[in-house]
Amino acid sequence: MRHLDAAAMAELAQRDPAAVAWFREHLASPCEVCETFLATHMDPLDGHADALLLALAPARKAEAQGATVVPLRTPPRARRFTPPSGRYLGWMAGALAASVLMVVLVPLVKGPARGTTEWTGEKGPGRISLELAVVARGTDGGLRRLDSGADVTSDEVLLLRYHATESGTALLYQQREHQAPELLGRFALDAGTHDLEGPDGLTGVSLESDEGRLSLVLVAFAPGESATEQDALAALDADGSPDARPGTVSRFDVRVQSGQTLAP
Amino acid sequence: MGETDDVTDAVRRATQGESSAFSELYRLTRPLVARMVAGFGTLDPDEAEDILQESYVRAFRGLPQLKTAGAFTPWLLTIARNRARTRLERRNLLQRLEEERADPTPETVPALPPTLQVERDIEVVRQLIAELPEGEEKKTVQLFYIEGQLSAREIAEQLGVGKSTVTMRLERFRGRIKRELLQRVLAGRWD
Repeated sequence: MRHLDAAAMAELAQRDPAAVAWFREHLASPCEVCETFLATHMDPLDGHADALLLALAPARKAEAQGATVVPLRTPPRARRFTPPSGRYLGWMAGALAASVLMVVLVPLVKGPARGTTEWTGEKGPGRISLELAVVARGTDGGLRRLDSGADVTSDEVLLLRYHATESGTALLYQQREHQAPELLGRFALDAGTHDLEGPDGLTGVSLESDEGRLSLVLVAFAPGESATEQDALAALDADGSPDARPGTVSRFDVRVQSGQTLAP
Repeated sequence: MGETDDVTDAVRRATQGESSAFSELYRLTRPLVARMVAGFGTLDPDEAEDILQESYVRAFRGLPQLKTAGAFTPWLLTIARNRARTRLERRNLLQRLEEERADPTPETVPALPPTLQVERDIEVVRQLIAELPEGEEKKTVQLFYIEGQLSAREIAEQLGVGKSTVTMRLERFRGRIKRELLQRVLAGRWD
């Protein structure tokens, strides 16, 4: 089954008959993969989609405030963003190295798998190997790398980074103790080590109003694997069974405490 | 939303160099653009204002290239969305200097279809919202798009979730709407 990607959009823009015929039928019903692509990529439909959606609410009167100063000249450049801190880069470099080492070393330490059945000749979709690294950002902007199970405070924000052996799609869940997992979003994964990014940039998970054990779980699917929410929940149920398919689950646990940012 | 006669008229006058038409365009369209930018929950109010101003500067500068006055609003919204995303991407601490998104050229943004068609499309969108399963996502979409009074930040506060969670929910729903629109384009209902 073919889904929307940059190549498909280029074909559609050129009115390629085969692409038009396929996607006319395919998009007639919901498709999470294609909708995720459309949600995160800019194209000429964006303005129309926004215009339609914004027309749903009662129209607001034209604003008097600010209307007298029409911006005809370039405003001053953004001034409040600080460049990436060396500290963050250092932590993330460490997390990256650890992730890559885990991917390389763990299979070596474990040795060859025993008792596995021989290759049957059947080809299936590739399986993603996935590692998750998490950094906590405090209210002062300070960053500290976390190990799974670490204590964090409710005024911190968790920043996620992943290492994936191939590109794919991932669903991010948060799960509080004794509660059902809650979907935070869908993401396109690229092979290699990257920050987890949503439509508005780097993904930060706010811990406001949380307390107690909290798990962040990334469920990754290789291209060709079905990647619906049902699939992700099934993968979460099978968590701990590495041969379960589809989906690869990477979990990171923290314990949220109310109060001030912990010292690094 | 069909392009209103007032906006179309102001676009025509602005392209002819009438300076008061720029003020008129700004006054008429600013509420809509501000609402769209307010959907990015992780932007603070100052950043949102910067984005609004940048968007109008770019739109007014590119106005002479606009061939169809009726295409102004979607084009402006696309510019504003580009600016918002570019701004947020700059926050990505590990992302290296990336080329800024180029503003869309007016020719790539077709005019809105006739008003009757737009009204039908709005009904389809309302139907899609009604069909969403009851839950947090539906509540978020209703608060932002149907009630239209709260920003993504305010919705996050009201629902007790993160700002980025609200933005993700809104973006996910936009993806559905774009899928619906693209299917209509491919089926020849829009061109």
